[in-house]
Amino acid sequence: MALESPLVISEMVEASEFPELSDRFNVSGVPQTTINAGAGTVVGGVPAERLADEIDKALARKK
Amino acid sequence: MAERLLNDSVIGQVKQVFQNLKNPVEVIFFEAQEGCDYCADTRQLLEEVTQISDLLTFSAHDIQQDAELTQLLGVDKTPGFVVVGKEGPQRLDYGIRFSGIPAGHEFSSLIHTLLLVSNRDSGLDQKTRNFLAGLKEPVHLQVFVTPT
Repeated sequence: MALESPLVISEMVEASEFPELSDRFNVSGVPQTTINAGAGTVVGGVPAERLADEIDKALARKK
Repeated sequence: MAERLLNDSVIGQVKQVFQNLKNPVEVIFFEAQEGCDYCADTRQLLEEVTQISDLLTFSAHDIQQDAELTQLLGVDKTPGFVVVGKEGPQRLDYGIRFSGIPAGHEFSSLIHTLLLVSNRDSGLDQKTRNFLAGLKEPVHLQVFVTPT
């Protein structure tokens, strides 16, 4: 997704090396995707379309 | 140098995948002098992977000493690295970051990412591409993973 938009940063985080961050976002299963520091969360591997929906919702929620 | 992390069989498989690389890619690695248990292994792993293809280059930086580059790329964890496209001396930053060692399961994510960036193609469907092209605000995705 980051490839398709200059506004998207995509960071893979190795959860066990950064436990504070994982705790902060309540990471219980992997993969878990956190959108904009907790504005949205997606648990599990999901199709791109579903992730796009969640990004959309997370951005709307912030306003 | 310590013993190799990648055996011949893995190198052979990666070499096959790397036949599909198109454009140069640089892996920009950040380490810290202290409190970074996985820095040495991550650095070695990335060095070994980038040596497999002439289209891949590797550079290592200290997160504190190279504060300017660290800030420019927004790196805040070690080991951490950024996968950028290269056009001559220019770095094309697509916003792709890794924090922590890409071992186990994540090794294939690393190889896949190098391929995507080299080919400058996300492989996403048109609908998702349109959505992403229409974004007006920054989106920071943090994908939490484990090596096993």
